[in-house]
Amino acid sequence: MSSTTKPQGFSTESGSRRADRIRLLAQPAAVVVLVGAVLVWAFTRNNDAIEAESINAGVLLTKTGEHLLITAVVAAIVTGIAVPLGVLLTRSWARPVAPLFIAIANIGQAAPALGVLVLFFLWTEWEGLWCAALPIAFYSLLPVLRNTITGIESVDPALVDAGRGIGMSSSGVLFRIELPLAVPLVLAGLRTALVLAVGTATLAFFVNGGGLGELVDTGYKLNRVPVLVVGAVLAVGLALIVDWIGAVLEEYLGPKGLA
Amino acid sequence: MADTENVSGVEIQLDNVTKRYPGSREPAVRDVTMTIPAGKIVILVGPSGCGKTTTMRMINRLIEPSSGTITIGGEDALRLNADTLRRKVGYAIQQAGLFPHFTVAQNISVVPGLLGWERGRINDRVDEMMDLVGLDPAQYRDRFPRQLSGGQQQRVGVARALAADPPVLLMDEPFGAVDPITRGNLQDELLRLQTDLRKTIVFVTHDFDEAVKLGDKIAVLGDQSTIQQYDTPEAILANPANDMVAGFVGAGASLKQLTLLRVRDVDYEDIALTAPADESPATLRQRMIEQNRTYALVLDQRRRPLRWVHVRALSTASSLTGAGTPVGDSVSTQSTLHDALEAILAEGGHAVVTGTRGEYVGMIDITTVTDTIKQLREEHEAGSAAS
Amino acid sequence: MNLFDYVADRWDRLSLQAWLHVSEVVQSTIIAAVLGVLIGVAVYRSPIGSALATALASTILTVPSFALLGLLIPVVGLGATPTVIALVLYALLPITRNTIVGLGGVDPAIRDAARGIGMSRVGVLARVELRLAWPAILAGMRVATQMLMGIAVIAAYAKGPGLGGEVFSGLVRAGSANATNQALAGTLGVVILALLLEAVYFLIARFTVSRGIRG
Repeated sequence: MSSTTKPQGFSTESGSRRADRIRLLAQPAAVVVLVGAVLVWAFTRNNDAIEAESINAGVLLTKTGEHLLITAVVAAIVTGIAVPLGVLLTRSWARPVAPLFIAIANIGQAAPALGVLVLFFLWTEWEGLWCAALPIAFYSLLPVLRNTITGIESVDPALVDAGRGIGMSSSGVLFRIELPLAVPLVLAGLRTALVLAVGTATLAFFVNGGGLGELVDTGYKLNRVPVLVVGAVLAVGLALIVDWIGAVLEEYLGPKGLA
Repeated sequence: MADTENVSGVEIQLDNVTKRYPGSREPAVRDVTMTIPAGKIVILVGPSGCGKTTTMRMINRLIEPSSGTITIGGEDALRLNADTLRRKVGYAIQQAGLFPHFTVAQNISVVPGLLGWERGRINDRVDEMMDLVGLDPAQYRDRFPRQLSGGQQQRVGVARALAADPPVLLMDEPFGAVDPITRGNLQDELLRLQTDLRKTIVFVTHDFDEAVKLGDKIAVLGDQSTIQQYDTPEAILANPANDMVAGFVGAGASLKQLTLLRVRDVDYEDIALTAPADESPATLRQRMIEQNRTYALVLDQRRRPLRWVHVRALSTASSLTGAGTPVGDSVSTQSTLHDALEAILAEGGHAVVTGTRGEYVGMIDITTVTDTIKQLREEHEAGSAAS
Repeated sequence: MNLFDYVADRWDRLSLQAWLHVSEVVQSTIIAAVLGVLIGVAVYRSPIGSALATALASTILTVPSFALLGLLIPVVGLGATPTVIALVLYALLPITRNTIVGLGGVDPAIRDAARGIGMSRVGVLARVELRLAWPAILAGMRVATQMLMGIAVIAAYAKGPGLGGEVFSGLVRAGSANATNQALAGTLGVVILALLLEAVYFLIARFTVSRGIRG
């Protein structure tokens, strides 16, 4: 399905099933090799006191955990808001306002992620997890919202007609026909949102939200390349794994029977 | 037709039904009143955009009428809950409209499921319906629609529509998207099903030939679904009510009419001189000269036609089994007049008519055919003048 | 000081940053377009090659931009160099992907017809296939540009030029008088420039896509 719809905006969709297969197999292997090699290198070299303060199992696990937590919170917020909102906007009585929401979400994504994050921090004067998660969620909302709407709207009207015609209620048609058929696109949107979230979470440390970006920053500020590299490579590895999980979900949660 | 006891369908009555869409000045359907008799196939036929589908969709209220009443089996359809109504009205559409993420069995069991049937009963029903439409349950139950051919999908569509045994079946160009051969087969099967089921079927098509083949009655609809003529196919072909209907019937109305008539319905005559195959050529020759005949038809022991012999060939022939020329195309009393005409043309002016066991029963010729058509025209003209 | 006063007051610096921002994004897009189309042309006939190229490019896009910048700093230093390298890498996926999809979507009958009337392989590619794939390629460039506008803001961390500098100054001076104005000017500036570039792409499409295939 993803290969026939032209991806709009940020999307890691490759547009090719074969490429997806390659990534499904190669991505986790590459992550294990890359992260493993860097960790072995970082832990076996002679780290000075400053480096050792960051390069130890406790710190790395904490930062990875923070990073994952932000990603998970964002994914939950996005799924909880974008999917129901997308469904609502496809109901016939809401069609007129749908373009408005899409426009808002579009502008949200055209805005630079870092700018949205910093502005939210300056306006609310919050910091930490929620200060990072809320603007990142806003920023990641669009792919899921748009794909939910597109997914439901691209369901053949004849199927909806057939469903109504044989006596399904409108909610029956929604839950048994429209949503299941929209699942592949919704999942593709969710995967894109996950990638955006895990990537943008590297910026969370700017608002004291922690995450692996903090290691990169520490390494840069203190001029300790190993710390920077470990932080960056862990962030890359985590992003690839999260994307891979998204791909696996896409592969196995989609409805059967579709080509 | 008097045999009403097996009819499972119910009558549908439309009274002054109008559909007006907001923002358009002219109604899409204007003041339609018609009775769809129980257990009959009624075809709504008309040019695209004439409102025939809209009219049909008002019966199961996929479109709500703006005014007028619709009763199904005496019940006011507009007072029922629309979803409840639709579970009692089968619905089959073009390209089947099967749910691609459901298996064949799941598709068929949707309506029984909605009606709260228990699992075992639904499973039995699925197998029964698949048998009914000619799909082997063991083989096709768990397939997805995309693993079926177009014709098979259409069968599943019909099975799904009939699964809860609704008295009424609405069909919206159900065979519009399949190739002509498959379409012919599906049409034949629908007719076969209908002889057992006797549902009330409302069938929308723009194909007049399909309408003639399937319909007990045809409603030819013009703009805004106004009824131009509502009658049996024979009557419409014999005597189109106006230019619009005539235009829609198109060229070759007489030929189409021939497909509706069977040889048994017309006056074929036993006019040939026949001879058993074991009669001696000399006696036959004698008989022919006495009766002033030039040709005789040789029959076998079971009176099946074998050969034509000319009187001149008999003087030299030793037996009747070798003389003359074999009989070519013959027609049975079951054949349509259309097939009979084909045989008459091929045989040079007349054709042999055989009975159910292949025995000779008479001859039919071109004047029989033309007389029949002429007679039908006159009957229907008299009929429409009287009404 | 409200935002308008702030923008009026710092107009010279803001307009220069805006110009640099657009300039680096556009240049990176053009470099990526040349590379992406070359890669696309090289692999689109081979299903394996296409799959590998798109898999690699989409993997790159998965890499968090801040992590990539961080990794580039020790290798190439600060300033414009890491910025442009990162931007080009990120722009590759949408352009390569759309080139392959666009070229693959050309009706084989048209290709046959072009060969049949005596066009050379290169002629078919340049005059028929790329012309027909151009709307898809251009769409890929548009998506890439929009994406780079946001990533270029992060690149200011590696002392890259552009409006990202304003956002970072706002962050660093949190609590001071003009912190919000600075971050807002940077962020809104990027949004406005992105919309302007969108309009430019619309015009380019209008004038370069053959009227025969315009949707």
